[in-house]
Amino acid sequence: MAGIILSGITKSFGPAQVIHGVDLQIAEGELMVFVGPSGCGKSTLLRLIAGLDRPSTGTIALDGRDVTALPASDRGLAMVFQSYALYPHMTVRQNLSFGLQNIRMDKAEIAARVAEAGRLLEIEGLMDRRPTQLSGGQRQRVAIGRAIVREPSAFLLDEPLSNLDAELRGTMRAEISGLHARLGATMIYVTHDQTEAMTLADRIAVMRAGRIEQVATPLELYNHPANLFVAGFIGAPNMNLFAARASGGVLSLPGGAELPLPGTPAGADVTIGIRPQHLRLAQEGEDAIEARVTLIEALGAETVVHAQTAEGQPVITVLPGQPPLTRGEALRLNFDPDEAHLFDENGQRIAR
Amino acid sequence: MTAFATRLGAAVAAPFALLARAIDLPLRGWQRLTGMGGMAAVFLAPNLAIFGVFVLIPLALNFAYSMTGGTDILLPDRPFVGADQYARLLDCADYSRAVTCREDAFWTAARNTAVFVVFQVSLMVAVSMITALILNRKIAGRGFFRAVFFFPVLLSPVVVGLIWRWILQRQGLLNLIVVNLGFDPQVWLNDRLYAFAAAVGVSTWAHMGFYTLILLAGLQAIPRDLYEAAEMDGTKPGRVFRRITLPLLGPNLAVVLVLALIRSVQIFDEAYVLTGGGPGTSTLFLTQYIYETGFASLLRNPGLAAAASILMAGVLVVLTLAQLALSRRAERR
Ligand SMILES: Nc1ncnc2c1ncn2[C@@H]1O[C@H](COP(=O)(O)OP(=O)(O)OP(=O)(O)O)[C@@H](O)[C@H]1O
Ligand SMILES: [Mg+2]
Repeated sequence: MAGIILSGITKSFGPAQVIHGVDLQIAEGELMVFVGPSGCGKSTLLRLIAGLDRPSTGTIALDGRDVTALPASDRGLAMVFQSYALYPHMTVRQNLSFGLQNIRMDKAEIAARVAEAGRLLEIEGLMDRRPTQLSGGQRQRVAIGRAIVREPSAFLLDEPLSNLDAELRGTMRAEISGLHARLGATMIYVTHDQTEAMTLADRIAVMRAGRIEQVATPLELYNHPANLFVAGFIGAPNMNLFAARASGGVLSLPGGAELPLPGTPAGADVTIGIRPQHLRLAQEGEDAIEARVTLIEALGAETVVHAQTAEGQPVITVLPGQPPLTRGEALRLNFDPDEAHLFDENGQRIAR
Repeated sequence: MTAFATRLGAAVAAPFALLARAIDLPLRGWQRLTGMGGMAAVFLAPNLAIFGVFVLIPLALNFAYSMTGGTDILLPDRPFVGADQYARLLDCADYSRAVTCREDAFWTAARNTAVFVVFQVSLMVAVSMITALILNRKIAGRGFFRAVFFFPVLLSPVVVGLIWRWILQRQGLLNLIVVNLGFDPQVWLNDRLYAFAAAVGVSTWAHMGFYTLILLAGLQAIPRDLYEAAEMDGTKPGRVFRRITLPLLGPNLAVVLVLALIRSVQIFDEAYVLTGGGPGTSTLFLTQYIYETGFASLLRNPGLAAAASILMAGVLVVLTLAQLALSRRAERR
């Protein structure tokens, strides 16, 4: 058992290359999340795995078997579409049974599986309704149910929650997480919502413009982003990034602040990244980043402070509690060197 | 360019704006007088007038004619005969054999029309369905083929009949091909079977573009991801067609069926030009019988023709109501 292995996958639509060489191994039973900005190729990659499209080059292996040339129907995967793609003229029960009837499964077995999925997803009461008579969340469950009954070797989910409101999204996220734990099946989950990615994933593949930028566990991505793109993409609010000059252990920021930072290379232009949560108010006499408050978002338990340096560089910090700040007030911010991220001129992480 | 277009648009709109201002006040007055319902009446009136003059009144007149006898054309000159014309049409010793009927041509035409409708409507639905399915695929020159299949719809039925007569006549295009292939030429339109088949085929060819268009629109309204879901579900192509395409195309198919049925029962112009009802009476259809009885034969009998057309209208009404009931039930499911 080897899960899903993608090697050297590229995909072009006519002259436009959309996927630029993707290598990825997904372990059996793993929940892998693809995240990235809109148009980066997440759906395309998922459709290649599903078999709905063919890669231009490269191979796809399922459980150790090369399936690159196999049509979607023979791959034994199940997909949950963003639009749900429920058959509108069939009842929920018929929607769930359809794929099983295709393989001429025994009637009693079909009924048992449909009932089991209905129980699992709590849609037993809806079995004789049509998709138009269901709410968004109910449709979503039916779409997942249609995947479950087939007992596929892997589930492919393309932004399954994007049509739901925020509250339902939270509930369904927890349900999918629970489902994954119960079924133990391989899942690939596409989203551009990083909260979904962080909370659901065993591992996350961050994509940009048809390439995978980094594959790692959520916390690894958060704590050790491999490059500026990942650093900026993961974490909310976005990481603060400052251009700086490193000179052996000391970092000079454009504002003139000099910050001691062990492990910096000597004489190089770098970018320093600090998460908003890691900026704190500086002590008297400390060298600090100076900025002026432009906007205060008080959330109760914490306060998001937007500020601007004298050079016009925006800074965001998340301070605990409800600090007594007002707009226009001068701020002096500092951070723990251990929590700063350093990137070289090419945007790659500098290990310290 | 756009500035010019804007000015042109303004120039075209100006008279209408003037007109609108002119009728604004009287309309307001009317509305105050009669309320919203009265406004609806104002806007429906022109259409109702046209419908009345060209449909309702002729219908009533036609019914009046069917109760009269003689050969005179003007209604006041014609004697009232009650249901005699209907009795004459329906007077049969054995309804399965036209020759035992008093108006045997009517029954021949009725039987021919029934056979024609069965074959032509089946062929029409099948052919336009297949054409729509093909044109719905990503084939090269799709736009061109869509135009090609729609083009005959734009032709006058008389032109259609003439074109095919040139092709099928003794010295026609088809025989040229047949001879060049080394076979004996046939007098296609003199053969009962070939002539009937030609009437079915030609009328199908002439109108299929219209039905293809309706079905194509239906096919394109089916979301693509349903087919992808079916593919993920491991559905075989034949089953996709039966379980997904056909049911979702149901409303369009119903429309096609009823329209094709109604037009098929009314078959006249292209078949008349093509075969003239022959050979013998083998392609004599109801509308031709009505036309000849009422206007073209030596012994004109407008009353009999009117009665026959009322009977035919009755059949059409029954067919339409049955279809409506069917599609309502399909919708409710
Ligand atoms: N059938 C196609 N033909 C041509 N270009 C395509 C096709 N499908 C996708 N693309 C292009 O490929 C790129 C990636 O599309 P894809 O749908 O995979 O993005 P995505 O990451 O899923 O975005 P989103 O988050 O908006 O769903 C886009 O630039 C898109 O325009
Ligand atoms: Mg997408």
